[in-house]
Amino acid sequence: MLARLPLVLFAAAALAIPYSVQRIFLHTGIEKKMGTVQKIFYFHVPLAWIMMALAVACGIAAAIQLRRRSQLAESISIATGELVLITGLAVLVTGPIWGHATWGRAWTWDARQVSTGLLWLIFAAFVLLRRYGAAGSERLAAALAVFGAVDVPVIYYAVKIWKTTHPSTDVVGSLPPQMWASLWPALGALVCVTLGLLLVRIRQEQDQAGLDEAWIALDTGGK
Amino acid sequence: MSLVRQSWLLAKNDLVQELRDLEMVMTAAFFTLVVLVMFALSFAALPAADQTLAVPGMLWLAIAFVGALTLTRIFDREREADTLRAVLTWPVDRVAIYFGKLGVTLLVVTGCGALLMPALALLFPAAEVFLERPLESATLLVLGCVAYCAVGTLFAAGLATASGKNVLLSVILYPLTSPALIFALVATRALLEGHPALTTYLGQLAALDAMLVALASWLFEPVLLGNVVKPVRSAPRRRPMKE
Amino acid sequence: MSWITSDLRAPAEAKTPADDGYEPVTGLDQGTVQCVRACEAEAAAKTASDYSHVVWAYGVIWALFAGYGILLWQRASAQRIDTAELRRRIDRGASP
Repeated sequence: MLARLPLVLFAAAALAIPYSVQRIFLHTGIEKKMGTVQKIFYFHVPLAWIMMALAVACGIAAAIQLRRRSQLAESISIATGELVLITGLAVLVTGPIWGHATWGRAWTWDARQVSTGLLWLIFAAFVLLRRYGAAGSERLAAALAVFGAVDVPVIYYAVKIWKTTHPSTDVVGSLPPQMWASLWPALGALVCVTLGLLLVRIRQEQDQAGLDEAWIALDTGGK
Repeated sequence: MSLVRQSWLLAKNDLVQELRDLEMVMTAAFFTLVVLVMFALSFAALPAADQTLAVPGMLWLAIAFVGALTLTRIFDREREADTLRAVLTWPVDRVAIYFGKLGVTLLVVTGCGALLMPALALLFPAAEVFLERPLESATLLVLGCVAYCAVGTLFAAGLATASGKNVLLSVILYPLTSPALIFALVATRALLEGHPALTTYLGQLAALDAMLVALASWLFEPVLLGNVVKPVRSAPRRRPMKE
Repeated sequence: MSWITSDLRAPAEAKTPADDGYEPVTGLDQGTVQCVRACEAEAAAKTASDYSHVVWAYGVIWALFAGYGILLWQRASAQRIDTAELRRRIDRGASP
């Protein structure tokens, strides 16, 4: 049953996406100040939340991996780490697209934007270390993920006080309160997609670990 | 033997080695000078008002570069002679190894910072505050360096044992130390401008230091030792003809 | 826009009707028309630009997810081949 879960999630996403898109574009009003371009937020904001949640999950899984040496925890931390990169990239690209439409400037040095960028770099380092690190660097990568997760609030706070010394008049807006109702279907759709991809990746990593063990057993135990 | 004593002994061991030929200290100091010259060339033409904005960045970027260099060098010795494995067999608290290395790194990096601050004050009028308020400047320097070195020592150690590639240290180190550097930047600018909230910023930096040192020392042993090193596949990953 | 037309109609109507029975043309003056057209053009440009931005944003999001999905697919097929090879090796070893 667990093996079928990704399929169920993708199927749910396949339904949720058209519903949320038509709801965002056809049934939600146009925001007065920002205009149509504000509709980017309905996917931008949930993706940012998902990214942060994945970053924290990656750190927790990495901590478990280090303390209990669990293969499952390691697979989870790898999968969540990669998805942090994907969702983070989506957030970092859609934000400037919105900024470009509103102010003609893509990068606004907004506190949330900068802290997302820095967090993304940390997890990019995590993925690079896992990919190109030498044999024993899995634990080091896990330590990196733990620091990354702990840094989620720290970086945000640091950039906020950094901003007080570099004030700017451009502030990335947020969703006006009366439009929140349209956010939840979008959040649901994105959670389904992300969770589905996550489960597939975890399964893959588990299979890969099993394959590696089998090959090693064959090479060493066999002939 | 207490943790402090163990750490001190390990650090002393490294320092005695270093004092034999002063290689690390000399190269770090010279590197500081070189970076300083490059900054002077790049930013000398800045008007005085803008210098207050640029000097914190120069200071902490230089410290970041020197820190990365020092960390690589500190563990190079272990990597070349594979002595880290030997040290790990000693009956010392693992965390003492971390604190010993941290101490040595801190000494070198703070020393370079102590060279940097007066030099910057000489080159850029805006930085003269460093000389006028030595106590605050020294506190800021030490707190900032502790935050940077706490994180860096852990990852340099990890890469040293994993027959790691040095380039990865730079890839990891700069994003990871960015919150520490941001806090230090803000505090430095507050110092240069005579901002009243300087003590608050220094307090926050101290809290960050405590958190980073605690986290890094907690992670040191699992990272360095882990469990049985997972055997790697002897042959390269098999990839028979796909097509 | 009725406030524009009503204000401007008044001066035009104040003219005495011409002798040949034609009524003077009433309506907006050129300046106002141009101003209104400019506003409309700006609004249309903003709407068009907004739509293109929205399309790009949504396109990027789905491209990223699709790209990752393809990556996973490739990895899965590589694993399948690896598993098959492993199975072959085991079978070869089992049957001496």
